[in-house]
Amino acid sequence: MTPIITIILLLIASACAFFLKKEKQILLSSLVAAFLGSFSVFAISLPVLFGFSHYWNDGFWLLDGFSALMASMVAFLYLTASIVSYRYIGKEFEEKKISLADLKLYFSLLHIFALCMILTVVANNSLLLWMTLEGTTLSSTFLVGLYRKKTSAEAAWKYIIICSTGISLGLLGVLLFGYGTSLGGVEGGGMFTLTSLFRNAHLISPEIVKWAFIFIFIGFGAKLGLVPMHIWLADAHSNAPSPISGLFSGILLNIALYGIIRFRFITDLALGNSDWSSRLFLFFGFVSIIVPAFMMLVQKNYKRMLAYSSVEHMGIITFALALSPLGAIAAVIHMIGHTLTKSALFFGAGEILLSYQTTQTAKVKGLLKKAPYTAILFLFGILAIIALPPSVLFVSEYTIFTAAFAMHPILSLFIFLALSVIAYSMLKSTIDMFFPAKEDEQQPQQKEKWNVSHWVMAVQLLLVVGLTFFLSSGSGFSFVDSIAKDAIYISK
Amino acid sequence: MSPILATLLQGIFILAVAPFAMGLVRLCKARLQGRLGASPLLPYYTFATLFKKQMVISNATSWIFRAVPFVVLSTSVILAFVLPLLFVGGKLASLSDFLFVAGILMIGSIFLVLGGLDTGSAFGGMGSSREMTIAALVEPTIIMVFVAMSFVSGTFAIDGMIGGQLISSHPYLILSIFAFFLATLAENARYPLDNPATHLELTMVHEAMILEYSGTYLAMLEYASAIKLTIFSILLASFIFPASVFAAAGLGFSSMILAFLFGILKVVVMMGLLALLESTIVKMRFYRIQEFMSVAFFTALAGMLVSLFSSSIHMKMEYHTIFGALAVFFVVLLFGRARSFAMVRYYALSSLSIAGVALGLSFIYPDEKEHLWIFALVTILIKVILVPYVINYVQKNFKDFIKAPSFLKPTSSYFVIVAILGVTLFVMKHTPIVGIVSFDALLYVSIALIGIGLATMIIHRNILSQILGLLIMENGVTVFTLVTVKSLPLLIELGVFVIIVASAFILSVLGLRIREFHGSSDTEELRSLTE
Repeated sequence: MTPIITIILLLIASACAFFLKKEKQILLSSLVAAFLGSFSVFAISLPVLFGFSHYWNDGFWLLDGFSALMASMVAFLYLTASIVSYRYIGKEFEEKKISLADLKLYFSLLHIFALCMILTVVANNSLLLWMTLEGTTLSSTFLVGLYRKKTSAEAAWKYIIICSTGISLGLLGVLLFGYGTSLGGVEGGGMFTLTSLFRNAHLISPEIVKWAFIFIFIGFGAKLGLVPMHIWLADAHSNAPSPISGLFSGILLNIALYGIIRFRFITDLALGNSDWSSRLFLFFGFVSIIVPAFMMLVQKNYKRMLAYSSVEHMGIITFALALSPLGAIAAVIHMIGHTLTKSALFFGAGEILLSYQTTQTAKVKGLLKKAPYTAILFLFGILAIIALPPSVLFVSEYTIFTAAFAMHPILSLFIFLALSVIAYSMLKSTIDMFFPAKEDEQQPQQKEKWNVSHWVMAVQLLLVVGLTFFLSSGSGFSFVDSIAKDAIYISK
Repeated sequence: MSPILATLLQGIFILAVAPFAMGLVRLCKARLQGRLGASPLLPYYTFATLFKKQMVISNATSWIFRAVPFVVLSTSVILAFVLPLLFVGGKLASLSDFLFVAGILMIGSIFLVLGGLDTGSAFGGMGSSREMTIAALVEPTIIMVFVAMSFVSGTFAIDGMIGGQLISSHPYLILSIFAFFLATLAENARYPLDNPATHLELTMVHEAMILEYSGTYLAMLEYASAIKLTIFSILLASFIFPASVFAAAGLGFSSMILAFLFGILKVVVMMGLLALLESTIVKMRFYRIQEFMSVAFFTALAGMLVSLFSSSIHMKMEYHTIFGALAVFFVVLLFGRARSFAMVRYYALSSLSIAGVALGLSFIYPDEKEHLWIFALVTILIKVILVPYVINYVQKNFKDFIKAPSFLKPTSSYFVIVAILGVTLFVMKHTPIVGIVSFDALLYVSIALIGIGLATMIIHRNILSQILGLLIMENGVTVFTLVTVKSLPLLIELGVFVIIVASAFILSVLGLRIREFHGSSDTEELRSLTE
């Protein structure tokens, strides 16, 4: 049950995109490859997720509940992003905004990017995890800088510099974990395998564990977009093509958090309880919710607005992880919900960009008349992301506040205020886009056609609503609990 | 075999081999230049012919003119008998005190200079003044080299310095050896200070002083310089491989033959290397020799200070510590530079030092030897050769990749570096983790590298500095790997190296694009996406 089939499939897909000559062939081959690749991952992960197979690991690969959940989400998002890319990049190529060379670069890098993401969440060897995480940064740099514009190059530059610096610091942490176990007597391959680290965590001295986790937290946190290492996030997510932005906000940030969570589990096992690491998570999570609230009020670019919203949601998940064990369950639910909703929003933003050719909110007017399907789906997405019921984010935020008001009342009050501010600004920007400007322009509008992006957005939003009902029931709750139990928090 | 016999045989050997050495250098240089070259035995015939020729001596000279060849030849001959070249512990070994040897060399130089001045010709005076400049600058270097070695070996006699097996146990003497090598080039009038084969008077230093000599006197002076070259080269080789010099007392006939063979081998190898060096580098303009001599001076000073330090504090300096210090040193130099090729070259040198650290560690952990050797080899391949090549290749069209200054002037940059190093030391002394990790010095090196890498990225405003800062940080993490885990599985190491090369490539291409779009490589311009 190793992911070797996925590796081969995606490598072949990338090679196809590189070697094929015609645009139609590349688009079709990438679409087919995306289907095959994601189904191969589903074949491995879904049985484990729903309890039909047992948790499984060997020296290189680890497939327990949490890995299976993340792998399924990566595969799902890879599939939807490829479908949206088929439409989006195809349209941009028709409009001559990107050349054939750029198209080939996009699709070959897309498959490698997806491959690195999938391998990160199923890796058992911590060094392999680190390598594939760095691989995601490297393979996605040119995806961010795809357009030949000043702002794209700048965004890609900030992205790679800050994320590579962070991940190098993360390597220090990984090495310290390995060194700590070697001092405790573990030899050879066991130093760097996650499962053996889980088993032998009690052998590591607390000093080393604390330093190691701080390095990993700061390093991977830069990739996660925690304040104050978030300065690359708004630029990169807003200047990348929309399907890539959807992938970034939807799943890449979650993967960085996955790395932090795995190492946090080792830290908690070594220290005995989760108090020390919770303090770190609390502080950074809190700051990461407050700062985007300020930035959101002055946003003039709807893609940047969505990017700052990603920072805020990652802050919420981090804050939730400080409140284990109830917070851990809420964090998992929030991760699932944010993935589905934010990617749908970015796909919708891509549609708006295609219609209006600009990302300035002020210049987008009359969306309701010009592109009604996009407008309605986008509005539903925004309502979901600000945690209005029946969005699944409502379930998770409700759970978080239940735990938070009990433990940290004042902080929760501030977070509540910040969330309200964010909700207001996002809604205001969105509604401003809907209606035409004061002067009533009577231009002959082309009727917008319902295309694949709308299908994708609709499916994701329906999933969001469906999951609400499932996860707020008892069986859903215990399902998430079984995933989070011995991977995120230590069960007593 | 008695010491007297050893000394006599050594002296005769040197006197016999000297012209062959000179001819060998000329032959190797000719071959490297694609010519056939004359036989290495030609100088014997040249000297024999010169001895028989009639001399022409100007009326304007004094007795000094006639005395100079004798003094100079006798100083060289004395050195041939006194220094431990083939045998250690000969009869005159006690005379090989380094101040005595330096003094003898000085007498030779002074009389040669006087001989150049004596005729009153313009070229002689010019050669003499140049030679005096070089001699004044090279003298302290030679003294410091021998002082460093005397600290280590505990004796002032050069005989004793070669007798102990110094280099393998005191790796910092490599600095002194390097300085001695530079001083050798200066003393013997070789490239890059002087061209011994030039016929253009304005480029001469040594040749200008002997321009007026002819016949026997000329033969004596040339013979003296040949002997001096042979002596210095064999001495340098003996410092590097002290095992090739045998103790004079208690030797049989076969060991004597072996010593002669070793002598000839050392002469051949050193002359070949000298010819290679002379064919590769160019002769410097005269006013630039002070840069050359200052490099020699500072290297000798560093070697002397380290040996003084280690002998008084009784600290054992290992190879890996030295290489680690070198790695930080090169990065510090990089921090103050502003030309792209220089910065990339210093990065390559720093990575080379890190490969040296791995090699040094392999002596301490013999069971991890292959892993560490492979690691060193791959480091050299990737970080010293491939990554600089990639960076230079991508930006070869933009030679002025560095035009924007950093936030700080060079002097203040060095203050920042010192501050970073000091803070790192302070932090390390006060965190409990230091006691757990062995190799304090290497841990300090790795944290210092990471700190300096971060500083390079933040303080310098241009794109290449940010790329190099990231690479330096990754070097620091590599040293950290060596400190803690000693060696990673091979596949993982290869993956890490691939990642480093890929990042260097991607960053260079991006940097190029930024430069195209923005027109300059100043990162202050990357401010269009602000809020």
